Amino acid sequence: MGALHSEGESQAGATALLGEPGDTPLVAMIGPPNSGKTTLFNRLTGLRQKVANYPGVTVEKHVGSVQLPDYRELRLVDLPGVHGFSARTLDERITRDVLEGRMSGLRAPDALVLTVDSTRLESQLMLVEPVLELDVPTLLVLNMSDELKARGGSVDDAILADRLGVEVVRTNARLGEGLEAVREFLGRVAVRGPGQVQRNATNVPEGLALPMMDAFTERRRRVRTIVEAARFVPPRPSGPSERLDAVCLHRVWGPLVFLAVVVLVFQSIFTWAVPLMDGVDFLVSGSGEWLATTLPDTWFRSLLVHGVWSGVGSVVIFLPQILILFLFLGILEDSGYMARAAVIADRLMYRVGLQGRAFLPLLSGYACAVPAILAARTIDDERDRLATIFVTPFMTCSARLPVYALLIAAFIPNEPLLGPFMNLRAATLLGLYALGIVAAVGTAFLLKRTLLKAKAGSFLMELPPYRIPSPRSLALRLVDRSKIFLKRAGRIIFTVAIVLWALTQFPRVDAGPPHIDDSALGRMGQLIEPAIAPLGFDWRIGVGLLTSLAAREVIVGTLGTIYGVEDGSDNSMDLQAALQRDLTTGSAIGLLIFFVFALQCMSTVAVMRRETAGWKWPALQFGYMLALAYIGAFIAVRVF
Amino acid sequence: MDTTALQTQPEVSADSALAGLRLGDIPLRQTVELTHIDLPPHEAEPLLERGVLPGCRICPVRSSPSGDPIVSIDGSLLALRRETAQCLCVRLLTALKG
Repeated sequence: MGALHSEGESQAGATALLGEPGDTPLVAMIGPPNSGKTTLFNRLTGLRQKVANYPGVTVEKHVGSVQLPDYRELRLVDLPGVHGFSARTLDERITRDVLEGRMSGLRAPDALVLTVDSTRLESQLMLVEPVLELDVPTLLVLNMSDELKARGGSVDDAILADRLGVEVVRTNARLGEGLEAVREFLGRVAVRGPGQVQRNATNVPEGLALPMMDAFTERRRRVRTIVEAARFVPPRPSGPSERLDAVCLHRVWGPLVFLAVVVLVFQSIFTWAVPLMDGVDFLVSGSGEWLATTLPDTWFRSLLVHGVWSGVGSVVIFLPQILILFLFLGILEDSGYMARAAVIADRLMYRVGLQGRAFLPLLSGYACAVPAILAARTIDDERDRLATIFVTPFMTCSARLPVYALLIAAFIPNEPLLGPFMNLRAATLLGLYALGIVAAVGTAFLLKRTLLKAKAGSFLMELPPYRIPSPRSLALRLVDRSKIFLKRAGRIIFTVAIVLWALTQFPRVDAGPPHIDDSALGRMGQLIEPAIAPLGFDWRIGVGLLTSLAAREVIVGTLGTIYGVEDGSDNSMDLQAALQRDLTTGSAIGLLIFFVFALQCMSTVAVMRRETAGWKWPALQFGYMLALAYIGAFIAVRVF
Repeated sequence: MDTTALQTQPEVSADSALAGLRLGDIPLRQTVELTHIDLPPHEAEPLLERGVLPGCRICPVRSSPSGDPIVSIDGSLLALRRETAQCLCVRLLTALKG
């Protein structure tokens, strides 16, 4: 799997790019899922963290810096939560590659901080041995020690430290207790010399002749002996957690709570986000108008106002929606409900060939496929993961919304359908969402019977005790998400806007911009017109389809630019009226259906290539979705 | 393989008539000892990593709305599919309730 992470960037080049001085110690945070590792990481680094983006790839690695007591700096990397090093899941492979120093841009860590949930000490300590076998200075953090005590449990950490041969500290990361001891350990970490041997991260050490099962049993025996010596008293079961599970996993109430949660998430994305989005829109268009009136009338103003501002603005408007979705997902995950939701969804997912863990990526897909595909990393079965990320782009992401909104408003009459409950427009929107789900389910069903055929795998889900999420961690996650989103929006949309604008300006006619039909952009559209003519699309829509390959919502800005430039005046022609002139209702519905199916998103293709380590899957996905889109639109034009 | 060393001696030895007992057959709140995992290594490994090993004690505590078992092991709750539970051979530590 080394090839997955070394895509031609030299170690030195990537290091220089991240600005990593060679003398700053690097410490990796490792631990099982739900051990509070990330909360501890957030406590230690605060806002001094960034999501490292390596050249050309989208892997998310959280790296932060810690100010040490003696004012030196230390770099901390937060690894995904893992139970072992079997390299079965992508998370485990990433963890292993970082620990072995094979992740480009990060050298092997100088020390490790292993965080465990002390209320589940015995099972969590199964990770201790493989970590200690790495032979790197390690600190064992017994997190949630307040909960252990409150529920009547205890452990003698001095004996534990002695028997394991590592330093042990207690923390309550959520409340920020015990951080000084962790900082003190970090203060003593020195950069390892180049002579030190790097060991492999494995579940079963090489050279050990034991079969896997026996190796685990032996390890379990040693852990048991150590835990008994340290006089570990397991805590009583958590009463509130049991009472909540009695409802959330109840035969009748469980699915109802699940449904209520899904409805709440949707409601928040589509109604509560609206005032915030209006606010962002107001700011963007307001500042655009201010620029238009302030700057002198030159080509530069045209580029800035019509190209950059409207282009970037059309994407930034989705920020509130994405943040609200991630706030909800964060609360669901940190509270422990997400694990229950996965259990409830599992049977349903199982029927279409997926598994319960696919629920989170598919739900996230309603905001954006990129983080959703990354969220699928926790799916331990490789075929399940591939099937999940293959169908995720069928979920109606928020980038499709502006396209749907424009076309529905222009072509679907605002007539009541079910009395006061639903009108034709809302029903159309709902239908488009449903069509996406049908496509996803059908595709998953098909995939698991053909390319990803496998015997039904297992599904294992640990249900952590319910906990109150830490507002601090939630806030940091949102800051993180905003940064990633804005960076992406900035890069892609900014570039597209500038290129588009330039293509409308050339070739020059009498030292001025050409008529839109004769511009480079117009000619590109006319070139593909024969291919899309059967769908009832003319070259203008063709240009929109081409530019929306970068990101779906770009088509709205593109059409705005084309019709605006065509009109020749500064008052751009009413886009809806222009579309009504150029499209029949049938081809408008065809265009809607095209957008339900087609993979018009560069970011998704890039993240797919990254997550599947090659072009095979993204190419297949792109071709398959395009074929569905073309056929769907072709049929729609003839039916409506 | 000496799995009993992991645990204190079981109070009641497994009844030979119940030798074919699987986790899926065990009623709620009946603690049992895992004797054997009837799964290929790559499917067993995630179980092993979470401490589901021969010799450990498992207690089904709840069933999910779709009827899949949720078990307690070493103080952790673990949700399984019933198909997986049918591959976990167990023996009783006390006489079966009811």
